[in-house]
Amino acid sequence: MIITNKQTINVVTLKITSAVNCVSPLGEAIKALCLYATGSECYALDVHRAVVEAVNNVILHAYSNQDGHDIIVEWNQEKDSLRIDITDYGLSMQTLPDPVLPEFDAESGRGWWIINSCLDEYYYKVVEYSQTNKFYKPNSDNGYSEEFMVKSHSNVLTLIKHF
Amino acid sequence: MILLEQKHNDINIVELSGRFAMADCSDVRERLKSLIDEGQGKLVIDMAKVSFIDSSACAVLISAFKGMQLKSGRLVLVTSSAVQSLIELTRLHTIFEISPSQVTALSAFDER
Repeated sequence: MIITNKQTINVVTLKITSAVNCVSPLGEAIKALCLYATGSECYALDVHRAVVEAVNNVILHAYSNQDGHDIIVEWNQEKDSLRIDITDYGLSMQTLPDPVLPEFDAESGRGWWIINSCLDEYYYKVVEYSQTNKFYKPNSDNGYSEEFMVKSHSNVLTLIKHF
Repeated sequence: MILLEQKHNDINIVELSGRFAMADCSDVRERLKSLIDEGQGKLVIDMAKVSFIDSSACAVLISAFKGMQLKSGRLVLVTSSAVQSLIELTRLHTIFEISPSQVTALSAFDER
């Protein structure tokens, strides 16, 4: 049996706060990384566009346009493609919106169409996890401790474009 | 992004340069709205120097287009290659009037 693994060549992680004025510098950084990896302006523009639309969606919908929340963008150069993971900790999507164009005079709803048109693949996952913290306090009676279960989640949108 | 305004006879011209994205949309939308409200129904949005545009910026252009329609006015766009390719990707070239340069956009108003 032959097992093939995706070979990651380079990884760059960028982190911004959920403010609209942070999207442009992030987009330019992603474009520069894609240009570095491929030498193709066209390829870099496609990825740039998809990432900007995806991050705009995170700010508007996951974080309800509230500043101060983390958005982490991990750019991965693999053997035959680029993979970009966009992670947020806001409101999760229940389903991925259909990538269809709205009526011509609609002023929203084109983002997923652009993402779908500019990439080869994308998928979304919600990672739920729980954490147990144990606190041991000194000088307490009978070895006192407390446990807290902290439930949390992250949303990860993965964008893939082949070379 | 930089927004410059000028007037050629009764035609309002808005020149945009740099990135036209979500962070700029509220200012540009407001500025275009007041130009449409106060203008003579002739508007050129020159984006020849715009290096990047997103779907939020497309929404601003659609809003301006609808504002001009309500006024029975005319909106002509001048596009860079980056703007043109997104407008085509989103099929908006089927509703927008697009001119290759500001000169041709202005002369288009003389033809009617």
